[in-house]
Amino acid sequence: MTKYILKRLGQGLLTVFLTVSTVFILIRLAPGDPAVSYAGPLATTEQLAKVREQFGLDRPVLEQYWIFLQQLFTGNLGTSYSFQAPAMQVVAERMPYTLTLATAAILLTAVIAIPLGVWMARRPDTNRELGVNVLTIAGQSMPDFWTGIMLLTGFAVLIPLFPASGFATWGGLVLPTVTIAILQIALISRMVRREMTSNFAAPYLTVARSRGVGSPALTWRYAMGNSAIPVFTALGTRFAAMLNGVVVVEVVFAWPGVGSLIVRALETRDYPLIQATVLLTSLLAVAVQLVIDLAYPLLDPRVRLGKAAAA
Amino acid sequence: MTVLPQGSEISRRRLLQFGAAAGFLLGTGSMAGCAGPTGLPGPSTLTLALNRSLVSLDNKLNQFDAAVTVQRAVRQGLTAIGPETKPVLVLADRFEMTSPTAWTVRLREGVRYSDGTPVAIEDIATALKMYQQVQGSFVAGFFPEFPTVVPVDDRTFRMESKNPIPILDSLMSMILISPAAKNKPEELQEGVGTGPYVVTKFNRGAGTYSLKRNENYWGPAPKVDNVEVRFLPEESSRVIALRSGEVDVIDSITPDSREQLAGLPGVVLAEASSLRLNQIFYNFRKPSSHPLSDVRVREALSWAVDGEALVKDVLVDSVSEAEGVVPSSLTGFSKTGNYTYDPEKAKATLKSLGVTDLNLKIIWETGEFASDTSVMEALVEMFGNIGVKTQLQQFEPGGNILAWRQGKQGDWDLLGNGFSSPTGLAITMMQGMYAGTAEKEKTRDTYQGYVVPDVQAKIQAASSEVDPVRREQLLATAQKAIWDTWPCAWAFVPKSVLAHQKRVADLSLAPTNSYPLVDVRLEA
Repeated sequence: MTKYILKRLGQGLLTVFLTVSTVFILIRLAPGDPAVSYAGPLATTEQLAKVREQFGLDRPVLEQYWIFLQQLFTGNLGTSYSFQAPAMQVVAERMPYTLTLATAAILLTAVIAIPLGVWMARRPDTNRELGVNVLTIAGQSMPDFWTGIMLLTGFAVLIPLFPASGFATWGGLVLPTVTIAILQIALISRMVRREMTSNFAAPYLTVARSRGVGSPALTWRYAMGNSAIPVFTALGTRFAAMLNGVVVVEVVFAWPGVGSLIVRALETRDYPLIQATVLLTSLLAVAVQLVIDLAYPLLDPRVRLGKAAAA
Repeated sequence: MTVLPQGSEISRRRLLQFGAAAGFLLGTGSMAGCAGPTGLPGPSTLTLALNRSLVSLDNKLNQFDAAVTVQRAVRQGLTAIGPETKPVLVLADRFEMTSPTAWTVRLREGVRYSDGTPVAIEDIATALKMYQQVQGSFVAGFFPEFPTVVPVDDRTFRMESKNPIPILDSLMSMILISPAAKNKPEELQEGVGTGPYVVTKFNRGAGTYSLKRNENYWGPAPKVDNVEVRFLPEESSRVIALRSGEVDVIDSITPDSREQLAGLPGVVLAEASSLRLNQIFYNFRKPSSHPLSDVRVREALSWAVDGEALVKDVLVDSVSEAEGVVPSSLTGFSKTGNYTYDPEKAKATLKSLGVTDLNLKIIWETGEFASDTSVMEALVEMFGNIGVKTQLQQFEPGGNILAWRQGKQGDWDLLGNGFSSPTGLAITMMQGMYAGTAEKEKTRDTYQGYVVPDVQAKIQAASSEVDPVRREQLLATAQKAIWDTWPCAWAFVPKSVLAHQKRVADLSLAPTNSYPLVDVRLEA
């Protein structure tokens, strides 16, 4: 088990390293000059040269990469050009907002999508199931920005129940959470329905039913037990994806998370900030994936990790 | 004894349905329950939503319009740009030119920082040093040279320079004073100031600041207890937040949003002519054989532009046509002429000059001014009407338009651009745009290659003239000389537009697109 964890940790860290290295190269290949963004379009050539020197942008890219690697291992990715503060600190100030939003959205998704998927699986080909199915397809098809604008118009302007933007009060969490959850509920509930339908038709359930096992146990212990891993994996993967910033929703609701931060960092070519955001979010995503992997034996006792699994 | 209703046994299915419903309520309802008020500002709190993140309360680098309102509520300068763009005294109670190269300044008596420490002469000397040490400083670029601070007594000092700086009282409005011991070359995110408000909480990442009344403030006490500053980058979000009553003031409004907000109950629009000039500027790096090098061609092309239509139909009266080479709101402005629309004359003149098959490339950066793309598309049609073909190239912010503007990346003919004068003085803008020299052009540091020695000499003479009357005359002569070179096909002055809730009173929007927070009141 320990060996398995270490191996997965190693793989995760390698993934993070390759990700940040790729980003390092790509942002330097992209057009634009961070010095101009920093000093403004009216800065003189001399001023720009000083800024480039100050930020180390006048050095060869390979040398910059070497410095970046050294910073990477110390956890200090330099000073954000636009914030004039340690880049990791700026990202860390934003991360709690994104974590809060992602956690609320995934909890709401789980609470609604799983019972809804089971409900649909138990009523295949009925009119009610068809109706809900159409709704989930609609939920899956609506773009986030449109859903967000509709919710904003409805529940912040016409009926002012919730704040329109930001996170000044807890009420500010509702509309962005619902916006994200609508799409996720549609995706996860359809997945639960598919998994449960397939399990309901499996021979082991027929045997259990013939032995007199009750309907709730068949549904929740047997069928859901077998569907737990893919459903949990899907929820975890969606959660990890949200940690990278739910960019559109954050922009629509002026949510002060890492999504809107990275948009701004890209606009201003703030290299240290881009790198810090990518590093922190990919570390978190890898951590979430590791937790998902480690939770498998809890969800299904037949699953063994590490040596036992190999045997 | 409680009697349970008969025949209504709860089925497992019902239980599950109930569970799902409860889950939904827990998921949404409980959050709504936690929400309490829907983010509406309290009766003693003024909430501002800025279009750009207020990353600091200093202005060494960061001096976008709306930030000035908040920065000056916490930190102050010796002077400020007051009504009618004239410098007014703030931390100084005397600021006089006592010789061509020296100004005598006296600090206001009893001025203290929010922590109770007095303002010292050393703080001014240190502030000037810190502004010089910032790389790529926005402010430093406006100083022809930084003066030296020479103390005279406890409160009085001289600011001495090698050459006359007759506009030093205006320039010093950009230098915000902090205690010397805590001043650093970087922008200061927190710390003490002499302004009417102090910072109680901030999150630089999210761009939110909480301010409360400074009990040690030397001037009249502010009328609002608390100010919340939020960062809402999307204009639509700011408009919705204002409409829903979530914020009190939003600034830098585009024509589209102004139309949406005009006439809404409870919403008030405030407008002021800005200190910015937006123009369709010619590329002055063309070889002498190129038609654009001929001033007559540049003037003829300007006749193709229907400025009135652009102002009314495209920019929805949110701008006014320029009547000179700087905005009329600037001190030292001189009216030099009007842009006229006469496409037939334009066609005939171009023909008489032998200019046929002219093909122009217009470049600009997204967001340079409101409705920028629509203006450019209208120009394509207007130039097309006189037989001039055009192509547009739009650059995204953060891209490489600077390299194009400097002629290092590609060729172009017209540029959609803007220039602002934070001092409120015409001379500042004239120096930045029209005082290019051959020396500066070597490093491409002129304004689109504009190098006209006669104009530069006139600007130089005006900028070092210490007699205000004579300086005014020299400025007018220089502006006429610039106008005669037809530097742009069209120019306009945008209005600063701000919207606020009706409960916000005494908000006086200045041409700097800022307003003194200390004067603002909240009505019941």
